[in-house]
Amino acid sequence: MSYSDPQSPLIRIEVDGAAHPVPEGITVIQAMWQIGRPMIHGVGCLGGVCGACPITYRLPNQMASKTALACQTAVRDGMAITFIPSDSSKKAIAPIPNDPPTQKTLFQYYPETRRCTACRACSSVCPQEIDVMGGVRAAINGELAAVAEKFTTCVMCGLCAAVCEVQIKPHRVGMYARRLTGAFYPKEATGLLQRIEEVRAGKYKSAWNQILSADEAALSNYCRSDENIVNDTRIEKT
Amino acid sequence: MNRLEESKELVGETRAARMKENWPLLSQQDKDALIRRFHPDYKKEAYRTIQVGPNAGEQTVHELADLLEGESPVAGEKIALTPHHQVDLLILGGGGAGATAALTAKAAGAKVLLATKLRLGDSNTVMAEGGMQVAVSAEDSPVRHFLDSLRGGYMKNDPILLKTLVEEGPEVAKWLMDLGVLFDREADGNLALRGGGGSSKPRLLRCKDYTGLELMRVLKDCVLNEQVELLEFSPIVELLTDGAGACTGAILKNLDNSQYIVVQAKTVLLATGGIGRLHIQGFPTSNHYGATADGLPIAYRAGARLTLQDTFQYHPTGAVYPEPMAGILVTEAIRSVGAQLVNVKGERFINEMETRDAVASAVIRECAEGRGIETPAGRRGVWLDMPMVDIINGEGTLAHRFPNMLRQFSRYQIDIRKEPVLVYPTLHYQNGGIKINVDGESTVRNLFVAGEASGGIHGRNRLMGNSLLDIIVYGRRAGRAAAKRATEIGFGNLTLGHLDRFHEAQKKAGVEPKAVSPMLFPDYVKKN
Repeated sequence: MSYSDPQSPLIRIEVDGAAHPVPEGITVIQAMWQIGRPMIHGVGCLGGVCGACPITYRLPNQMASKTALACQTAVRDGMAITFIPSDSSKKAIAPIPNDPPTQKTLFQYYPETRRCTACRACSSVCPQEIDVMGGVRAAINGELAAVAEKFTTCVMCGLCAAVCEVQIKPHRVGMYARRLTGAFYPKEATGLLQRIEEVRAGKYKSAWNQILSADEAALSNYCRSDENIVNDTRIEKT
Repeated sequence: MNRLEESKELVGETRAARMKENWPLLSQQDKDALIRRFHPDYKKEAYRTIQVGPNAGEQTVHELADLLEGESPVAGEKIALTPHHQVDLLILGGGGAGATAALTAKAAGAKVLLATKLRLGDSNTVMAEGGMQVAVSAEDSPVRHFLDSLRGGYMKNDPILLKTLVEEGPEVAKWLMDLGVLFDREADGNLALRGGGGSSKPRLLRCKDYTGLELMRVLKDCVLNEQVELLEFSPIVELLTDGAGACTGAILKNLDNSQYIVVQAKTVLLATGGIGRLHIQGFPTSNHYGATADGLPIAYRAGARLTLQDTFQYHPTGAVYPEPMAGILVTEAIRSVGAQLVNVKGERFINEMETRDAVASAVIRECAEGRGIETPAGRRGVWLDMPMVDIINGEGTLAHRFPNMLRQFSRYQIDIRKEPVLVYPTLHYQNGGIKINVDGESTVRNLFVAGEASGGIHGRNRLMGNSLLDIIVYGRRAGRAAAKRATEIGFGNLTLGHLDRFHEAQKKAGVEPKAVSPMLFPDYVKKN
C-alpha cells in the first residue's frame, strides 16, 4: 500500500544521523516506512490519540528542537528526527478513595507536584497544546475540576514528565484529577440511576418476552412499524 | 482556480439553500437497492469460498480467507511446551475489552495475565470518537435501543447477545463513571446525549470527540493500579489445546527478542480486536496499526466457528485529503449535529442520518457516477460541509465539541470551521467475528472472546456507539465467566494437536496456505 503521491518532489530528512530522501507530503511515520524501517516501537493508532510516537526534531538553521507526534507531523526538508520511547514515568498506585477528595488526596500520591517552578517546559513540549503548567498550578491550588478540564485532550505521551526538572508527572496528575472529578461528580445523573432501577425492577420483562418469542417476520414488522421516528434526531438541539 | 477549489466554493454558495432542505429517509426498498448496488459487501469478485475449517463452504473476502487458511508461524518450529507462566486467565489484547475483562476477572479473584501486541491501551478503542450508546433518557428504553440495533443490523443480530448488550448498558455506564470516566453532562447532572445514524432517540454518551480515549485512559489507569500482570510487545501467535477440544493456553512471541513465551491457562480470552489493516478491497482504514484480525485465524485453527465473517463496516466519512490523513475518521457525530454531505455540484444526495452502510453506499455512488471530487493524489471523495455545524448550533460548537477534529485538520492548515473537507468511506469495523454465547465463550471450550474479534451482536451492520458498549458489557461478562470457569477446572495438557488436525484438513481439501497468520502488522515498508 503506497502512502505517497508518486509525483511528490523528494526532500531529505535525517534519522539517527543518516540522511534519507523521502517524498514530500507524508508523515514522519510514513517516512520511516519509506526508508525501510518496520515500526514496532514508536507507532500506535496512526490517528494522533494514543501517544505512542513522540519525536523530537530540528529544522535547518533553528536552534531549538521541537516535539511532536510522528503520525501527525509532515516531513520537511532538512528535518532531523529522533524518536522518543513512549512514557515509562512512574505510575503511583492511586486508587479512587471512598470519600470525596480533598486538596491532599492528589499530593498523597504525587507529592512532587507542589515543587513546580513555573518554568513552562511541560507546556512547551505538549503535542496537544495543553496548558500543562496551568494544569499543574491548578492542581497545586486544589482545583481538581479545572485540572480535569485542561487535560481532556491528553494522549498520555509523557513528554511533559520527561522534561520536568523537578520530576512532576503532569499527565499522571491530570489523569488522577480527571478520575477524581468523574468519580465524585457534584451532581447525580438521575436519569441513568432511574433507568438502572427500572431494569432491575423488571420493567421491560414483558416487552422482552414478546420480542424474544416473536419469529423473524413478526419482529421485522415490529421494527418497521417503529421506523417513522428514526428521523427525530437529525439535528440535535444543543 | 482548479476544479477542487471551484467545487469547494460551490459548497459555500449552495449552503443557505441546502440548509432549508428536508431530505427524506430512503424507503427500505430503495435503501436495499442502493446498498446492493454500491456497498463493498456486495462486490462479488472481492469474495471467495472458505475451503477448510468450521466455516468451510461459506464466503468471506479474499484477504480474510487467505489468513483463515494460512499457516501457523509455529508450524515446523520446535517449541518446548513447558509453561513460562501459569495463570487462571490469559487475556490477549490490551484494548477496551481486554482491559475490562482483566479488571473484572481480577476482582473476581482470578490470577490474570494480560499480553498484548503493542502497549497496554494500543487499540481501536482509543480512537473511538463518537460515543457509547446507552438508553438513559426518559423517552428512550433498552427495548428501543434493541429495535434500532436490530433494524440497523438487518435482523441478523443474535437476539440474546443484543438484548444483553442494551440491557446492561445503563449498569456499565455507571460502572465506568464510578471508575472516574468523565462523560459530558447537562447542567442538571444528567448525561448529555447525542443522536447517531439509525438511532430513533439520542443516546450517545460522550466525552467530546475523545470518548474512546477517555475510556481507555481510565481503564488503563485501573489495570495499572490493580497491578495486573502485563506482557507488552508480546502478541499471541498460536493457541494451545488439550487434544480433546478445549483451549489450555497460548504461545506468545516477544517482539523484541523473538523468543516464544508459553502460557498455560485454565481459560483464555481473545480480545485481539478488528481487521482494518487488512485493507480489504484496497480501502484505507480508520483503524489502529495493530488491527490485523489476529484472533480470527488463531481461533479458527483451534476449531472456533465464525459468524457473519462476510460483512464489514465502511465508515462513510474517512478523510481523503490531505494525503497523510487518508482513512482517518471524521466522526459521525458531526453529521448528527447538522453537517451535510455534498457532491461536486454542491448538491446533497442522501439523508446524512441513514445507517452507515447506506450513507457509505451513497458516497461511493456519487464518486462512481462522476459526481465526486478528485484529490491531487488521485483519491476521490465528496464534501462534508462542517462549517454548517457552527451556523446551526452557534459559533464555537466545533471547537468545543470536536476539538480532536479541529486539531487534526488544523495541522494541515485546514480550518473545519471555515471550509468543507473531502471524505470517502474508510474500512472501519468487522461486523462479524468469532461466534460467542452470552458469556463470551466461543465454540471451543474455555476459549472466550470479547470485543471486535467476536461476532453476532451487531448483525450485518453495527450502529454508531454500540462498539464501545460492546467492549465493556462483553469484556465484563467474558472476564467474569472465565474467572468462574477457572475455579471449576484445573490446568489442561499443552498440545498443538489442533494444528495437526487443521493441516490434515487442509491437505484433504487441497488447500495450499497463501499466508502466514496471524499477520501481526501490515507491511508498509518500501521494498528497494
